[in-house]
Amino acid sequence: MTRTVAALLAIAAGMSQAQDQRPGVEAHLSRGAQLMQDQLFEAAANEFEQALELNAADPRARFEFAVCLVSLGRNDEARRQFEQVRQLTGESRYVTYYLGRLDLLSNDYASAIRRLGSLTEEPPFPDTAFYLGVAYISSGDVAGGTKWLERAAKLLPHDYRVHYRLARAYSSGGREQEAAHEYGLYSQLRDEHKNTEKDVRECTSALGTGPLATAREACHRIYDPNDPEKLTLLGQLFGDAGAFAEALDPLKRAAQLDANSFEAWHNLGVSYFRLERYEEARAPLEKAVALRPNFYGSVVLLGATLYMLGEDDAALPVLERAHRLNPADTETAAALEKLRARRRK
Amino acid sequence: MASRGVRPQPRGKPSGLPFHARFTDVAAHAGLRAPVIYGPPDRMDYILESMGCGVAFLDYDNDGWLDIFLLSGTRREGPVEGASNRLYKNNRDGTFTDATAKAGLVRQGWACGVTVGDCNNDGFDDLFITAWPQNILYRNNGDGTFTDVTEAAGLLHPGKRWGSGCTWVDYDRDGRLDLFVSNYLVFDFDKIPPTGKDPNCNFKGVPVNCGPRGLVPERPMLYHNNGDGTFTDVTARSGIGAAAPGFGLTAVAADLDGDGWQDIYVACDSTPSLVFHNRGDGTFSEQGLLSGLAVNEDGNEQAGMGIAIGDFDTDGRLDALKTHFAEDTAALYRNAGHLVFEDVTLRSGLGVETRHVGWGDGIADLDNDGLPDLFWVTGSVFPEVERKHPEFPHKTPRVLFRNLGGGRFEELLDGAGPAIAEAHSSRGAAFGDFDNDGDLDILIMNINEPPSLLRNDVRGGGHWLKVKLVGTRSNPSAIGAVATAVYGGRRQAQPVLGSSGYLSCGDRRLHFGLGPAAMADLEIAWPSGVRESVAGLRADQLVTVKEGVGVVARERFGS
Repeated sequence: MTRTVAALLAIAAGMSQAQDQRPGVEAHLSRGAQLMQDQLFEAAANEFEQALELNAADPRARFEFAVCLVSLGRNDEARRQFEQVRQLTGESRYVTYYLGRLDLLSNDYASAIRRLGSLTEEPPFPDTAFYLGVAYISSGDVAGGTKWLERAAKLLPHDYRVHYRLARAYSSGGREQEAAHEYGLYSQLRDEHKNTEKDVRECTSALGTGPLATAREACHRIYDPNDPEKLTLLGQLFGDAGAFAEALDPLKRAAQLDANSFEAWHNLGVSYFRLERYEEARAPLEKAVALRPNFYGSVVLLGATLYMLGEDDAALPVLERAHRLNPADTETAAALEKLRARRRK
Repeated sequence: MASRGVRPQPRGKPSGLPFHARFTDVAAHAGLRAPVIYGPPDRMDYILESMGCGVAFLDYDNDGWLDIFLLSGTRREGPVEGASNRLYKNNRDGTFTDATAKAGLVRQGWACGVTVGDCNNDGFDDLFITAWPQNILYRNNGDGTFTDVTEAAGLLHPGKRWGSGCTWVDYDRDGRLDLFVSNYLVFDFDKIPPTGKDPNCNFKGVPVNCGPRGLVPERPMLYHNNGDGTFTDVTARSGIGAAAPGFGLTAVAADLDGDGWQDIYVACDSTPSLVFHNRGDGTFSEQGLLSGLAVNEDGNEQAGMGIAIGDFDTDGRLDALKTHFAEDTAALYRNAGHLVFEDVTLRSGLGVETRHVGWGDGIADLDNDGLPDLFWVTGSVFPEVERKHPEFPHKTPRVLFRNLGGGRFEELLDGAGPAIAEAHSSRGAAFGDFDNDGDLDILIMNINEPPSLLRNDVRGGGHWLKVKLVGTRSNPSAIGAVATAVYGGRRQAQPVLGSSGYLSCGDRRLHFGLGPAAMADLEIAWPSGVRESVAGLRADQLVTVKEGVGVVARERFGS
């Protein structure tokens, strides 16, 4: 599950049920979520700001806005926004996590250790231990930092950053043998990362220029039956090239390995939908919508799937939600009208 | 080169402290008016055209005044009239005279890097120049002229090679300067993919020249000085050849771990940078990763261009500054001893600056307050991009971080004179006191423009001490020596370098700003292994220290 989704779900759960959801907020949140997914943080921040103009008390919009600001390096503004989220929702592990990271960025190691250290029982994200380790090391406490980096290495075994930092920490502590082991892991993971980048370039190029049979060979190098991220990536590459049948196998495997991967479920649903296998599209899209209820692309596709399956009663609220998320989309509006007309008959 | 998409850290409140250095570009007044030709004026179709070249401050005639040597490129379509490497003699009045032809140094080609040092121990500085497709060694004849002795020295190589960084280094402590050369990548105009060919040839959606990613990286080389005017390629037997290939650029030799033997640090572009640890037996082991100097603190390789070596925290150990591509920070590494370096980039405040491609750099006390500052020049490699993305201009300003003490720096966007904000597409930079007035001036290569000569006018009354070292058992240029000045409770180490910045070479006279201290003690570690101390040196003078003899000359500038 992406960190933003998890945080939003938690914050939304803590919200007052009675708050005013004026029209338009959902749409801005949805567009912002899509823009963040595309790493267009300036534009995403703009959407969240517009949502806040409509409802300044919406903690989801404020939280997302703050996360955008962190991504944009506007740390002081981000801190102020997170503090406001805290006022709206009370203490939140997610807010504490980001404030801890902001402390780290502003060289306030004591505060970073205090905040991130308070999250160790129930860390909001797997990299909490990593940042806590970095905070300890930066404060000069190599032993404390090593302890948390060791935990981070267990939680994030494929993250080369963690192994590099841990190797440096072992080196500083004179633990040369362990350092050598971590340097080895770092180098291996870094090489794998670079190879994957190269393989993705070659796969994309092959899918864009040659026959599918040739591309399949080039793309197969990305296939790792035990790595959900790589499998999802491969499925997306096939999907982007219109090879939806090819996308199914890696995406199914990815979803099996990481049941909380929104990307895997969403892309699997898209692939089935494009292949007009609506029965099979339904479950993955329902999973995707459960994980990211504000993501317009999944919601509208689920609505369309239900509509194609003739399940009008189920389709109606989903398409209505899609319309709220993206009122400007005329196709959704038209489909909704069509559905309502069909139901009236 | 590649962007890593790093966003800048927020800028803190300005300290409001005065900065006493003021830089003015006096190149035109000084007579440095010829443009440095490097590829077409409005585009860069090949990576060779984009990388530019270095510059050097040297005293080729031993008159005590810094002369200037400027490298040059050319254009693919044919020679450009007037384009040449250029030697300018210092007239001692703030102006220079072009002495290129008289010195026998007229040459047009794709020059890259330069290292200056007395390689035949005759008392005069010789010049080694890296270039595509063939490097060149010029012997200084001692009469104002130079002779190309590349072939006689055994430095001709078969085929085409893109030599980039180079540095004289006495790696075996035999008193003779050996030669280290880094090579960038395999290049041939006819074999490089055309602009925009694949994802490696695009920047922000604009087709640009290809590389280095996607091209074939090279290995560095080491040549042993035989003492008879010839060199022997010892790349394999020294262990230098065992390192993984990389896109090597600036090479700097210095004793990074204080064991008395010269190590070599190579900035690599988009591959991990290399650190060759000198084992003291004629061989090296590559220790980039273990030292912490290969990658940044998250283990990511950066687009290494220039390297500066200095002691920013005045703890008596040599630290390093490496410049990188736009949308990334420069990297500042603090020396923790025993060849272990800590990446303190973000902690020190350098994370605020990610806008420009960084090149020639220096760790140098520009305002004589006793705390070394950081400076680098910048410039894009893709002139085509600014038409679509004005936020990535081709010509960009210089970057100056003043040292606040306590390991913290503050970027000065203005307040250090008009020359800092002037925009150029710069590459090499050399630091030295060309007008002998007790501060550090800066010489800069600008692509397809005349160079910049940033005259520094320091006010504020900070004291200084300049130290010229002359080797006897060590090589006469004293390249590899480390002098440590002790003043006002600080210990600041400085190395004598054969190369630094980006493919450049600075004044070998070491410059220590002393702040309010009127006296300093000096400790010298000579490359021969000899250690020497000089106590109670008065500030505001140049002292010449001869190995084993002590202070042999004192000069108070302007008197």
